[in-house]
This record gives sequence, C-alpha cells and structure tokens, in this order.
Amino acid sequence: MTLFVHAVEQGLIYGLMALGVYISFRVLAFPDLSVDGTFPLGAAVAAALIIGGWDPFLASLVALGAGAAAGAFTGILATKFRIQGLLAGVLTMIMLYSLNLRIMGRPNLPLLGRPSALTATVQALHLTPPWGLVLVAAILAFGFKILLDLFFHTELGTAMRATGDNPDMVRAFGVNPETMVILGLALSNGLVALSGALVAQYSGFADVGMGVGTIVAGLASVIIGEMLFRPRTVIWATAATLIGSCLYRGAILVALRYGGALGFTASDLKLLTALVVLGALMAPAIRARLKGEEA
Amino acid sequence: MILELSSISKTFILGAERIEALRGVDLSLAEGEFVTVIGSNGAGKSTLLNVIAGTCRPTRGRVKIAGRDVTRWPAHSRARWIGRVFQDPLKGTAAHMTLAENLALALRKGPRGLGLALSHAKRKRLEKALAHLDMGLESRLNERVAHLSGGERQAVTVLMATLAQPKLLLLDEHTAALDPANADKVLEVTERLVEESRITTLMVTHRMDQALRTGSRLIMMHKGRVHLDLGQEEKRNLTVDDLVGLFRRVGVTDDELLLEAVRGRSSA
Repeated sequence: MTLFVHAVEQGLIYGLMALGVYISFRVLAFPDLSVDGTFPLGAAVAAALIIGGWDPFLASLVALGAGAAAGAFTGILATKFRIQGLLAGVLTMIMLYSLNLRIMGRPNLPLLGRPSALTATVQALHLTPPWGLVLVAAILAFGFKILLDLFFHTELGTAMRATGDNPDMVRAFGVNPETMVILGLALSNGLVALSGALVAQYSGFADVGMGVGTIVAGLASVIIGEMLFRPRTVIWATAATLIGSCLYRGAILVALRYGGALGFTASDLKLLTALVVLGALMAPAIRARLKGEEA
Repeated sequence: MILELSSISKTFILGAERIEALRGVDLSLAEGEFVTVIGSNGAGKSTLLNVIAGTCRPTRGRVKIAGRDVTRWPAHSRARWIGRVFQDPLKGTAAHMTLAENLALALRKGPRGLGLALSHAKRKRLEKALAHLDMGLESRLNERVAHLSGGERQAVTVLMATLAQPKLLLLDEHTAALDPANADKVLEVTERLVEESRITTLMVTHRMDQALRTGSRLIMMHKGRVHLDLGQEEKRNLTVDDLVGLFRRVGVTDDELLLEAVRGRSSA
C-alpha cells in the first residue's frame, strides 16, 4: 500500500520531467540531453534559495525559469550556431554540472526541516496522509498537463508540433522553425527543472549527481505510456506519459524492495532502467523481423 | 510587378568544382500571370524557385516581391507573400497531425499567437474549402494526413498554399511524383484555385504538354539562362515537337530531354 502511494506520488512529481522529455523527444523530435543537467539545476536553485530563506513556491518558480533559460541556450546552440542537437544538449549538461556545484556551494544540500512547497500545500488544504500528498501531486501534474494540452491546441502550439514533423512546411507558412525549437526546449527544460525542484523538496536534499539518467527515466515513462495506450492525440499522449511515469516509479520501488533477493542493489538501477528502455526501443524492429520471417 | 528578378546568378562550389546554376536571369511577373517553366536537367529551374522563396541566396542580383527588395530576407519572412508546393507530396504537410490541424496552420502566414488553432468557425471554413476540391476530403478533417494518398496530400498542399491568399505561388514539379490520374487531378485543382484567387503563379514542370496547355506564359531555361519567353498568343500555336525543336536549337540534345518529350506526348 505505501509502495503504491509512493509510486504515484513520485510518478506524478517526476511526471513533470517526463512531460518535458515528451516535448523535446516527441513533439520537437529533438534528442535533448540537457535534461540531465536541468533536472539537478532545478533542485540546486530551489534548495539554495529555500536555505537562503526564500518562500518554497517562489524558489520552485525561479527553478522553472532557470531550466527554461538553460533549455533555450541548448536551442540557440542547435539552431543559430548549427551545433548538432545531441552535442548541444551534452554541452549544456556538462556546463550545468559545474554551474550546479557553484549554485549549491557543495555537492549535497540537505533540506530536512526546511519548508517545502508540497507539504505546505498539503497543510494549507488540510489534507491528511497518505493521500494528501498524492492529491497535491496529481493536481500539480495534471494541471500542467492540461496547460500543455491547451498550449498545443493554440496557433503557436500547433506550429510547434508541426516543426517536429516538417520544419520546411512550417517555414513555408511564415514561422521560423528555429524559434519553435528554442521555445519548445525552454518549455521542456522549464518543466524538467521544476520537477527537479519538487523532487529535492520531496526527498529532502539536492544532490549534484541526481540528474544522471534523467533522460532515460523520462524516455522510459514516455515509452511505457505509449506502449500501453497507443495515444493518437496530444491529450492522450500527455496523460499516457504521466501514467507511464507512475508505472516506471512503481517498477523501481519494487526493484529496490525485492531486488535484493535476486542479488540486485540500488546501484544496478540505471542498468535495469536502460535495459527496459532498450527493450521498448528494440521491440518494433524485433516484431518486424519476426513478422518478416513468418511471411 | 509582383515579382522582379534582376541579373540573378547563383554559383555553387562543390569541392574544386564550380557549378553555375543561374547565370544572370532577368524575369518579371505581372499580377495575375500564370507562367510555366520548362528546361533540361540542371537548367536551374529549382534553384530559381529557391532563390525566389529565399531558401537559397543568390550570388549576384536582386529579388523584389511586390516592389520590396527581399534579396536578404530569410525564407520564413517572405513566406507571408509566397505559397509553395514541392514535388514530394510528403514535404507539404505534417503527417502526424490531422487534416484540420494542417489546414489551420495554412490559414495565416507569419508568426502565431495563443489564439485557438481550430475554432468552430475555422473548421466550417476549412470544410467548405475542402469540399471545393471535390475529392471527398471534407468528411475526413480529423484524420491524420499520413492516411491520405499522395494525390490527396498534394491537392491538400495546393489548397494550403493558396488558402492565405499569397501574392505569389511557386509550384516545383508538383505533379511529377504522382501517377497520371492523380497528376491530372492535382493539376486541375491547381488551375481552378489559381484562376479563382488570381494568384500570380510560377510553375516548373517536366511535361512539355502541360507547360503548353497551362498558364498564360511559358519560359524555357537552359544552363542557368532563360532562353525563351513566350506569351499567351505565341504559345497557343506551339506543339510539343516545336518545343523540342527549340530546345535543339539552344543545344539541348541529351536523351533526358527526348525522354521528357515522349513522356509528355504519350500522356497528352
């Protein structure tokens, strides 16, 4: 039961990050690795500000802004300076590693006993455990999901979706696809950093290493959602991503709790995650090959 | 003049090789003209369209659209005056978006705001425009464009290119990748939409019969130059064989051209 509650809580909070990865990978078709840097950037900014006495809501908002700026930076590298997308993301990520250390002053900032935007909301709404935090996380995650859905149905949002599909066409209708990429990556990394800020408050610390594998976790969530729901509209795709994120966190919690019996340790987690993503990515090719051999 | 090109040259440098795609092209299009462009392979037809659309900057010369010098403008900025259709039917639409969403993008040229992409009124308007194509597409607004056939996609692309009433329509062999029946249908749709909206049009085609039958003026290009510029009256009495003869006179004797002439005649 507690495992289920924790999976949903974490799934929804990390779900904001997964939505960000959905924007870069699926909407823009841009393999953006900056998220491995912007997730801890959000955590670092929020933690440093909260320790400095800032209101946790305001601190989280500043974290979102910092992530958006970093995302825009990757976008500018990739479009205005024609650096390969993958490399642009890696460069941002590496720069952020140093920057995050500078923001925090040391590799780990504990937040125990400090105010948290999540628990503050739970208290303000007079909610009780175990479902109080789940409810707040759900309102937050689905709130952002609905905002995103709305955005992707505006003229600007439609143009952004078309950019990932066919940039030539977008250009032909007088929209600069480069602007769409920069804007989209800002949006994506803003969400990722906000997720990082909330995860730091949720788990009680910010750590410079907490971003490693963010991209894989985000992709895993997107892919699990796609495999289960085969979404055909944005509204379903974002919902599937959030549910995928909950399932992914659930799988990790199960692996952490019962994996020991099979000889797994927490340090094997990244390997297992990557294998899950790899399996999902290889599935279509394997299926095609099997079909081909049958025919 | 809607379009004025003055002494346009374009040289591509590929390693040690210099390719002169355009060598001093002068061309003016008056409002409402429908110009067909033919030429041998490598004549510079596509480069010419790219220079006009802004996806390729000329080495020398000036491009003026509606009286404004746009030579140094990026493609997306001049797109507000230009509609364009490519040879590849996949290039004109976003496959993973619905027909309605694709068309909605075409309703406006230029930067976008946060208004709803598809209102009820817009949907009605798009339905009407699709019904006008007479291909039964008006009932498929919510289908993904990926489900449409090549001919349907290209007809939709032509509609999208004219929807926002551009000043200039550029068609780059836009029926070449289609089977004959679909090519004829798309050409018919094109002629109808151009006639109704009176958009000034430049159509590159590899089919000489098409070039003769369609439009009000014909241009023949060879090796980066305009070699022939015929008005309505002059081209009316011309046959495909006459055109082949004219090509011969400027030194085109390659098999490629003969092949096109034959292709043109067989489907005429």
